[in-house]
Amino acid sequence: MPKPSDLLQGTLDLLILKTLVREPLHGWAISKRIQLLSDDVLAVQQGSLYPALHRLEQQGWVTAEWKGTDQGRNGKFYTLTRDGKRQLERELESWKRLSSAVGLLLERA
Amino acid sequence: MTLSRLYRIAQQRLRSVLHTDAADEELSRELALHFELLVEELQADGMTREDAQRAARRAVGNVPLLEQQCRDHRRVSWLLDLQQDIVYGWRMLRTNPGFTAVATLSLAIGIGANTAILSVIDAVMRASLAIPQDDRLVVVRTYPLDDPNQETHALLDDYTIWRDASRSFAVMGLALGNQADFGADGDTAPAERIQGQAVSGGTLSALAVQPILGRFFTASETDFGPPSPVMTISHRLWQRRFGSRSDIVGQTARLDRVTRTIVGVMPEGFHYPSEGVDYWIPLGQNEPARLPSRARFFVVTARLKDGVTLEQAQSDMNLIAARQGKEDPDRHRGWGVRVKPVRDAMYGWTRERLLTLEAAVVLVLLVACANLAGLLLARGLARVPEISMRAALGAGRLRIVRQLLAESVLLSLIGGALGVLVAMGGIRVLVGMNPPPGGVKIVDVAVDLRTLGLTALISLTTGLVFGLVPALMSARSGPNKILKDSPAAVTTTVTPRLRNAFVAVQIAVTVVLLVASGLLMRSFLQVATRDIGFDPARLLTFEIHVPMSDYMHRARSGDPWNFEIDPSPAVTFERIYRELTTVPGVESVAGSSFGLLNSVVVPSTNVDVISTTGPRSASGGAAALAIGIGRQSTHLMDRRSLSAAYFLVTPGFFTAIKAALVGGRDFAATDISSSPWVAIVNESAANRFWPGQNPVGRRFTMPGNPDEHPREVIGIVRDIPLTVEGQVTPVIYTSYLQQPLRHLQPVTMFGQMMFMVRASGDPLTLLPAARRIVTDIDPDRPLSNIATMEWRLGSVMPIRGYIAFAITAFALAATLLAAIGIYGVLAHSVSQRVREIGIRFALGAGAYEVVMLIGRRALMVLSLGLAAGLAVSLMLTRLLQSQLWNVEPTDPVTFASVTIMLTIVALAAALIPIRRAAGVNPTVALRCE
Repeated sequence: MPKPSDLLQGTLDLLILKTLVREPLHGWAISKRIQLLSDDVLAVQQGSLYPALHRLEQQGWVTAEWKGTDQGRNGKFYTLTRDGKRQLERELESWKRLSSAVGLLLERA
Repeated sequence: MTLSRLYRIAQQRLRSVLHTDAADEELSRELALHFELLVEELQADGMTREDAQRAARRAVGNVPLLEQQCRDHRRVSWLLDLQQDIVYGWRMLRTNPGFTAVATLSLAIGIGANTAILSVIDAVMRASLAIPQDDRLVVVRTYPLDDPNQETHALLDDYTIWRDASRSFAVMGLALGNQADFGADGDTAPAERIQGQAVSGGTLSALAVQPILGRFFTASETDFGPPSPVMTISHRLWQRRFGSRSDIVGQTARLDRVTRTIVGVMPEGFHYPSEGVDYWIPLGQNEPARLPSRARFFVVTARLKDGVTLEQAQSDMNLIAARQGKEDPDRHRGWGVRVKPVRDAMYGWTRERLLTLEAAVVLVLLVACANLAGLLLARGLARVPEISMRAALGAGRLRIVRQLLAESVLLSLIGGALGVLVAMGGIRVLVGMNPPPGGVKIVDVAVDLRTLGLTALISLTTGLVFGLVPALMSARSGPNKILKDSPAAVTTTVTPRLRNAFVAVQIAVTVVLLVASGLLMRSFLQVATRDIGFDPARLLTFEIHVPMSDYMHRARSGDPWNFEIDPSPAVTFERIYRELTTVPGVESVAGSSFGLLNSVVVPSTNVDVISTTGPRSASGGAAALAIGIGRQSTHLMDRRSLSAAYFLVTPGFFTAIKAALVGGRDFAATDISSSPWVAIVNESAANRFWPGQNPVGRRFTMPGNPDEHPREVIGIVRDIPLTVEGQVTPVIYTSYLQQPLRHLQPVTMFGQMMFMVRASGDPLTLLPAARRIVTDIDPDRPLSNIATMEWRLGSVMPIRGYIAFAITAFALAATLLAAIGIYGVLAHSVSQRVREIGIRFALGAGAYEVVMLIGRRALMVLSLGLAAGLAVSLMLTRLLQSQLWNVEPTDPVTFASVTIMLTIVALAAALIPIRRAAGVNPTVALRCE
């Protein structure tokens, strides 16, 4: 497994929220999805993922409920809320602004 | 922040707090699932299960830390920690019941007692007098310079001089006390005797009170010519006797057989100048001059001029009084003048006594706080190692402080809650005390929240500050050093000096309280066990008054005397006396012109002793009867003359009241007007007028009356004090039937008698029969001032008794607290030096030496505290002087007993720790830490 890069906390929030747009997932699935969609570049460790998930839940961006997984186990599935969707858009906006600013800097310097 | 998000956040928080366990369990399940899936993934990559698990565990890392981090995001840890702190604190308090009990009790007493007293004082201070701007209204009184506490009212002369000479008052007025029988009004209003006041126009201006119905008197009614037959009544009299009728203005009532028109009703709560006053009549121009010139009866009321302070008015009057003394020494020398705010004048006794209580309570608060501080300090020191251990294990400083705070706050809350209960109960006790006549009856007292808050704040702050001690201690030295050193060494870094200082202060304060309580108790017991000179058992007492208009008439002009008595009220009294003796259940009947105890006014007379060489008079030309205020009547009579108090009594008086006749005989039915006139004197009179001789058989006259016969002394009786708390004075007793019928001035005392009827059973059962006898003679004549003699005696006691007992309770509480303090100091010292003691024992020291070593510090603290306390007491008890009777403020017996008692208590408290010190096993002590 490739070494995980350092992710800013805000960025991790963004990733998690984006991952949950399509469907509710539990923690393991979220980390696998992130890994998959980033072509294995980004691997979120348990140590960062769960605190982030819990923070998002406490903040009301996501809700959670216990459901059965397709393997017959019980897992805590997180769902994006409407407020969460709006927060995602806000985070996306600032990410775009940030990355274009960085790009601009790198170009000009 | 949208509403839905807010709702969700709240939901999460609540869940975290209320269902902590479920949430935690959920969290670990979630993480467990992740772990399991990771293991499966690794297995699928080809690892064995064990290897996979090992690898997974490595990947996951510190699970508890992870869980904690997740938990931290719940943002309620502060709340959960607080909950934990409280639970822990509560458990700590529960496992130390002794400490908890003493600490909360200290707080409760300190807060509760203080609040109760101050609430009552506040209620009294702010009670409505129904007088506008009553802080500008003053009462001006006189007092003998050598006995400043015996205030009395003013002479007529005083009023005229003061009114003309003083510059501090806008208006000044005169008033005179009055009592009258309200005539019976059909069945609804029986005859009753009511107190009132005759007021001048000046007094009305000074009071500036408007009646709520009708009007007050006009100037012409009060100040010109004879007084108008009008009156105003008090609000409560209007309610009680006249049923609050709306047409009251214009109604008439019979006062001492004079029909008066009621012209106004005063506002509720207005009872100037004393609580018992229920009606007001005009004084009139000539009335004042009718009283003997030496009568200090006149109530002088004045209103301060704008901008003049009480102190300025007082100095003004002091100068005037001095001038009076110089210009007319015969009348004014030896007298001072006091300007008193009306509130003080009316409620004087209450304030003084309550302030004494308040001083005691402040002291107890001090002791309580010192005790609390000491307790917390000691316990805190003992916990320093524990705290340091916690710090070493990772507890943040803030967390530790918070936990200690929680304990202290819990303690304070419990103590505070108890304090509120004590306050409420205390108020009820204080309100239930019977005020003596003339004092205000406190009815509506609420717990004063400001006081409660203040005292609670002081106590709680003490608790909080000293509760934090262990945290501060450990912070100073750092956990490392503390854990390395033995416990004994730790505590030497803290100044035990502070703790000892606390205990010394406690002891000093306790001494002051004990001394005060000792003095007050002795005083109380002196009064309670005082020999009153007669037997008060089963005596029913009541007064009968014959209005002066019934018996005293102006003589024909041209006669040298002005008034004559006809018909003599003695006839009526004799009838009542005879009929009373026939009532079944009556053992004996006695009657005197004034009550034997607690008489406010007792006439006195000058006495001219007739020696064998002719009449010897000591002073010339005084009025026939000088009137003095009973209690210390000698002060108010001219000391150069020989004078005595003067009573008229019924035959067989002393036998009936069971007073001891030490010589001669009692009055008999044969001592009537036509027989030789006789008198009985008491021992004090015998000593004053016939020092060193037997007065029986001697003769004397009371000068000033043309019809007075020389009297022969036929008996001597043991002294009966005029009031329970008063000194004995010379008294002359004469028979009712042997009195002059012509007088220079009107005298009321012939028309009144207090009957004392001794019953074989319960004296109150005789009351209906007595009433019937009197109403048969005159339906308009009420029995007044009805009480049993024992009740009269008892009614003087309560205040003294309550104060004495209350202060004693405080003193005992303080003693207990101080004893605990001493115990604490010694126990602490011993546990601190266990190793040292062990070493000394091992080196061959004897038990005595070790005890002395430990005890020396305690002894020092005790001595310091005692010395300071005794010194302060010597200075402060002077303030109690006005409440002490027959006991000196520096009474050596009290001081000595307090010292001894406290020393014994201290020794007792020291016993346990000292025994522990003596019993230290050197090997055990040296081995363990």
